[in-house]
Amino acid sequence: MNRTWSPYWNPKTETLPKDQLRALQLLKLQKLVERAYATSPFHRRLYDAAGVRPEHIRTLDDIRRLPFMTRENWMENQAAKPLFGDLVTRPEEDAIRYHLTSGTSGRQPLRVLDSRKDWSWITDMWCYGFWGFGIRPDDKVFFAFSYGSFIGFWGAHYCTEKMGCLTLASGNMTTEQRVKQIVEMGATVVCATPTYALRMGQAAEKMGIDLRKEGKVRRVIVSGEPAGSIPAVKKMIEDMWGGMCGDTAGMTEIGTIMIFECDKQPGGPHIIEDHFIEEVLDPETNEPVPYGERGERVVTSFGRGFIPLIRYRTKDLVCKVPHTRCSCGRTGDIYEGGILGRVDDMKLIRGTNVYPRAVEAVVREHAEVEEFQIIITRVDNVQDEITVKVELKPDQEECWPRLQAKLGKDLADAHEGLRFNVELAKAGELPRFELKAKRLQDLRPKY
Amino acid sequence: MSPNQDLLGNALSADERELLDLYRRLQALSRREDLMPCVLMNARQAMVMMWNACNDLGLVAEEPGCD
Repeated sequence: MNRTWSPYWNPKTETLPKDQLRALQLLKLQKLVERAYATSPFHRRLYDAAGVRPEHIRTLDDIRRLPFMTRENWMENQAAKPLFGDLVTRPEEDAIRYHLTSGTSGRQPLRVLDSRKDWSWITDMWCYGFWGFGIRPDDKVFFAFSYGSFIGFWGAHYCTEKMGCLTLASGNMTTEQRVKQIVEMGATVVCATPTYALRMGQAAEKMGIDLRKEGKVRRVIVSGEPAGSIPAVKKMIEDMWGGMCGDTAGMTEIGTIMIFECDKQPGGPHIIEDHFIEEVLDPETNEPVPYGERGERVVTSFGRGFIPLIRYRTKDLVCKVPHTRCSCGRTGDIYEGGILGRVDDMKLIRGTNVYPRAVEAVVREHAEVEEFQIIITRVDNVQDEITVKVELKPDQEECWPRLQAKLGKDLADAHEGLRFNVELAKAGELPRFELKAKRLQDLRPKY
Repeated sequence: MSPNQDLLGNALSADERELLDLYRRLQALSRREDLMPCVLMNARQAMVMMWNACNDLGLVAEEPGCD
């Protein structure tokens, strides 16, 4: 029997009027702070030092009385009390999952534990996102993911099992084997980082496979990199795969996603506000910024029992706009353009701010580009130089002189006239990525 | 919080009452120490799934780690 499904995973709270949503958040926040204070020595010390106690949380605005959690104080706590610090609320034997942050920043990874309920909640948050982007039980979902200690798409895998989809794991496969299986099995949904979705598309071309004709993919769900919300990147992915591309974003510290793009695609992902409070603050003053202004995401999660995550400074740059921007009916607000970058990945080049995501947005407008790297150097100990090295798609060499000039101009136009060097790389010279891409090398001396 | 209301004070529907009742019964089973492993572990799995539905609908204010 064909049944008509609700467009929402959870119609009851995804569409709650804002005042009721705020009331629900307050109730959950009060319980969370109470529990953190009672069971996590880390939180108790933090709150005692700030002179704040659970009973002080009477309104949602009172959240601002709570001190921030940071990656740094979490790492220090873990280092002082290995392996997990005294942030955790329960003994290790109550956990069923152990994961690590990806370590792409080169720092000591964070270690996290989850109980059965935590893990079930983690998969449920992915269900909000997958269902919202139109995935249904009759879909065949392929995960281009290596299933290691990095949390990545683990929760999404369990989400599609929960939803009743045919779930296709591809842990140890090569890129070519993955492409082959996607076609052979008639996968209708593919999940990958944006970079790897492009890489699989390029591999398919080299294998002589036209994914649009031979594949059945109708949705590509990306996560793990800000590029997932860059329109030019999404368009490239959609052109390659022939299906709609939707962005999600999460973090190991939360264990899951906190934002997802619905199938109306209003220009950014919705926040799952019945399970998270997402503040957007000026990173200098720590004051909230209004709708439409950029700031740093500070997240409070109601879901993870083992590790209370309260006012965690993510260093993600976002721009929140009202939910009314979208016609889907969800009342969770939207991050316009997704995660816009990192507060700390801004590079200052001869007085101009440069964000890698902004460079990528310009580079990806040029369909001839297969891969690229941003390299920053210092010449004669004085002058900073920024170079974009570009690898072209096969048989595109003829366009190089024109592309070089155009790319240089477009990059300068997007960066207050800053001069970018644009260089050609040999085929296969630049690194390729499966998980989070690292396309920036800052080679300037560090003092 | 009244047992007949959700977290926002709305009256529970018949489906919500049934969900909550199932969750409580599974929770009680999950705490028993005399059950066979195959019963206990599956009851615990079922309990967390039921908790998830109740939590999503705002029927319970229990912390996620309490299992």
